[in-house]
Amino acid sequence: MDGAPPLEIHDLTVAYHERPVLWGVDLVVPAGRLVGIVGPNGAGKSTLIKAAMGLLPAASGWVKVFGAPVRQNLRRIGYVPQRESVDWDFPVCVRDVVLMGRYGHVGLMRRPSAQDHAIAQRCMDEVGLLPFADRQIADLSGGQQQRVFLARALAQESDLYFMDEPFSGVDAATESAIIALLQQLKSRGKTILVVHHDLPTAREYFDTLLLLNMRVVAFGPAEEVFTYDLLQKTYGGRLTILSDMADAVSRQSRSP
Amino acid sequence: MTPRRAIALLLACGLLLCTHTAWADRIGDITSTDWREQAWRFVTLADPAVRFALAGSILLGLNCGLLGGFIVVRRMALFGDMLSHAVLPGVALGFLWNMSKDPVAIFVGATLAGLAGAALVGLLRRTTRLKEDTVLGLVLALFFAGGICMVTRIQSLPQGNKSGIDKFLFGQAAALGPGDVQLMAAVTVLALALVCLFYKELLVASFDGAFAASLRLPVAALHFGLLLLLSFAVVVALQAVGVVLVSAMLITPAAAAYLLTDRLHRLLQGAMVMGVLAGVGGAFISFLGTNLPTGPFMVLTASAIFAIVFLFGERRGVLMRWWRRRAQAARVRRENTLKAVFHILESRGLGHVRSVALHELAAHRQGTMATARSEARVLAGHGLATLPAGAESLDLTHEGWQRACEIVRNHRLWEWYLTHQMAIAPDHVHADAENIEHLLGEDAVRQIERALPPSPVDPHGRPIPALGAGRGERTP
Amino acid sequence: MTGLVPPLEWQRVFVEPWAANSTSSAWIVLMGFFATATCGLVGNYLILRRMVLVGDAISHSVLAGIAGAFLLSGSRGSAWMFVGSLAAGIITALLIEAIHRHTRVKQDSAIGIAFTSLFALGVVLISLYGGRVDLDQECVLYGEIANVPVTVEPLPESLSRLAAHVPLLQAEFLWRGVDLVMPPDVLRMALLLMATGALIGVFYKELLVSSFDASLAVSLGIPAAVVHYGIMGILSLVAVSAFEAVGAILVIAMLILPGATAQLLSQRLPVILGLTLLHAALSAVTGLHLGTWLDCSIAGAMVVAGGGWFALAWVFNPREGLLRRVLRSAPRHDAAQPAGGIGSKEHSR
Repeated sequence: MDGAPPLEIHDLTVAYHERPVLWGVDLVVPAGRLVGIVGPNGAGKSTLIKAAMGLLPAASGWVKVFGAPVRQNLRRIGYVPQRESVDWDFPVCVRDVVLMGRYGHVGLMRRPSAQDHAIAQRCMDEVGLLPFADRQIADLSGGQQQRVFLARALAQESDLYFMDEPFSGVDAATESAIIALLQQLKSRGKTILVVHHDLPTAREYFDTLLLLNMRVVAFGPAEEVFTYDLLQKTYGGRLTILSDMADAVSRQSRSP
Repeated sequence: MTPRRAIALLLACGLLLCTHTAWADRIGDITSTDWREQAWRFVTLADPAVRFALAGSILLGLNCGLLGGFIVVRRMALFGDMLSHAVLPGVALGFLWNMSKDPVAIFVGATLAGLAGAALVGLLRRTTRLKEDTVLGLVLALFFAGGICMVTRIQSLPQGNKSGIDKFLFGQAAALGPGDVQLMAAVTVLALALVCLFYKELLVASFDGAFAASLRLPVAALHFGLLLLLSFAVVVALQAVGVVLVSAMLITPAAAAYLLTDRLHRLLQGAMVMGVLAGVGGAFISFLGTNLPTGPFMVLTASAIFAIVFLFGERRGVLMRWWRRRAQAARVRRENTLKAVFHILESRGLGHVRSVALHELAAHRQGTMATARSEARVLAGHGLATLPAGAESLDLTHEGWQRACEIVRNHRLWEWYLTHQMAIAPDHVHADAENIEHLLGEDAVRQIERALPPSPVDPHGRPIPALGAGRGERTP
Repeated sequence: MTGLVPPLEWQRVFVEPWAANSTSSAWIVLMGFFATATCGLVGNYLILRRMVLVGDAISHSVLAGIAGAFLLSGSRGSAWMFVGSLAAGIITALLIEAIHRHTRVKQDSAIGIAFTSLFALGVVLISLYGGRVDLDQECVLYGEIANVPVTVEPLPESLSRLAAHVPLLQAEFLWRGVDLVMPPDVLRMALLLMATGALIGVFYKELLVSSFDASLAVSLGIPAAVVHYGIMGILSLVAVSAFEAVGAILVIAMLILPGATAQLLSQRLPVILGLTLLHAALSAVTGLHLGTWLDCSIAGAMVVAGGGWFALAWVFNPREGLLRRVLRSAPRHDAAQPAGGIGSKEHSR
């Protein structure tokens, strides 16, 4: 890789409807890590990855991807959104969705080339979706739908992946398939950040953990970070003041 | 409160009806165009047509406001639009019943058509993958087009008295007859009575249908009842407002009331008042000219009311908020000046002297003398400092000093909180504290103090002033 | 109630339109097809993006733009109408934004307030000054598609030169040996259809991905906001062009019906777009005959005919039609599972 870390975040503060949900996040993720982002509900896990990709505006701070602002390096980022974020009745088949992963490379007003189709084909094969390639996406099971998103992210051929709860609502087979895939990506030198909800499995799935609760509580190798103290701080911390002040900020800028 | 006010209005309508005399001519037939004369006729309620129009407008305002409240809080605006367009074929059918504008036939036809539209929406939702908004738009369009076909067909028929059917499209309050108004009154009384009786059930079902179901409330029946009342409201308003714009009379007055209140029952009351205002206002304006449709004027009146509430509303009006925000910004500026004075005094060692030269202030804030002087004047104006005439310095008053201590304390406490408790790097906390210092109230300060081990200094090593010093101007 | 439905005379309903008034019928059908097809293409994306209420809003509020443009310019020139309707579209969008942002009134009510205000304003302007600009309330409601051929006039120089380069649209139109200049309304609508089709073709994948998953689109570098406002702008243009033919309110029917029918029949977007065109053509032709038969508004009849085709698709659709559902669930009641499966249940709210 090219020296610069895949993801560098400095003093990132993000507000949702003027209400701050993340305060002063500092983060440098080295290449080739499989990072689990863990924290309680409302801790700002999804917000963090969305802000890192520039999908949400930052109130302060900056994000660099491979040493350049996100906008310039969007093509090196792959994204797996939450499964609930799209309409599964949308009239597209599995192949169409996977092909969307190539759109960033195809360029404005162009059609995907034969090569793009070949890549999409390969990615569907990798996640075992080839038999369903021409199915409408509503006719898939939850686990298969999640795999469609994974295949699409693979088709993006990125170096840095953001995944928002890829394990939610999938069957055991898909879960282990996803883990295998993540490991494989990692062995190819990719960097992956995964928002994860399930604390017990977090330690075995990821080599690095980011404990998040409105701010970074800890970031480091899983075995070092996964301690009672730090988890207590993440899940049981007294944050009433912080959320009270967040409410005050939002009241001040919205209603008065 | 609601019922009493509403009953008073209903009585007024009844009085209007009782005074009706035999010579009933319609506003549409009057050729006079002098608007002053027309306005006088309207205000004096001289002729029965005016009285019917007025009574009708009041009734429709009550009815639409009451049910519109539910539309707005249940996010059913498109549903209201669908319902109001879907009644058109029913109007045409009712008209065809005996080829005349028979209020009861039209009422029945239109209500049936509205319910048929709602039923079709339900059926399509259950049996297709189409989304709710698509289905609503589809049914709206289909029924309206069917209605248009029937209306144009009726107009091309050779026999019958066809006058009046076109009035259903844009509304003509002046075309209301005694039969219409009696029907409207009956429906309004029914709607008011039902909403009052089932108020708490409707409230629960509107807010949280699943919870209502868990209470074993008949949610489906409530929904159907509301739907029926809604169709009634649409049908009642039809003749005065017209098919095309009834949905506005449902939405706009209720939305205006929603801006003013937090509670559903007040929202319903407010929506009824605004609905009546819009109805009467629209009827009055359209009466000034000849042959003007009533509906658009009622809708524009409602929109004007909404705009007034939107801009000048006491608590949430845009102008009021802008004004309050300005006041807040001014306070933040004052507090920043105080903070600067504190910093200057602190750099001197915090003696008992509370006096700072204006050029020092200007230098510290990197501004000009002129800005420093005007800032000092603002402080003086708020009793936070004195500015001796001719002197080039300002003296903080006791209050000003306390406030300055408070601000600096808030700032440093917050920095200390962020770095200590939140483990945020010390170089990240200043910008945040700049914002929070103006917002921290006494409660929050005490909370932070309880949560933190006491520290005499902030993360940058500067002392945190004691809270006892500050008992002055408070954050509101 | 007698006489509402006249007898279905084969000669009068199906033959005469093409024998006696062939040119006029042809123009009516073409105009209906162009208008419905253009609206339908745009409407597909409205349906997919759940923007049907926005479509309803824009198609209503162009009326204020048209009325205002007439009053200011004193002419019915199409340039003024486009400017006026675009302005009305922008004002609607701004009003919705202002109400939605500054108050807790929800989006749907905000849309309802904004467009009904503008529509009411348009109706008031027309009823006050309508005589001056040859517009009336009827025209607002159901357009004058039946009068299209009457307005035949020489094309403006620029338009006819443009048309000469488009092979399908030779300004000189030969119909049963009669030379006829294409009515400008029809020509304009045809050009708009082609422009819309071309835009959809060129930006197919941008439209697809931003409609399916807006956040993915942004993360791919596709500006979803630009796409959104582009659709709104085209919607304004389409609504104002269709206004002459079908009036302000039936536009919503033409926006939704073809797309909804097509989306019942297929789950592939390219097929859906094709079916949209087919539905537009079918409803234009059948609408003409229905209107002739019942002697009513032809624009209304076209929509009703389109509704008929929708109903056919709904009932007889081989994959998940109503009939199939009934047949399938008849032997076993618990088998009435919708074919949409997982997705359709999850998104039912």
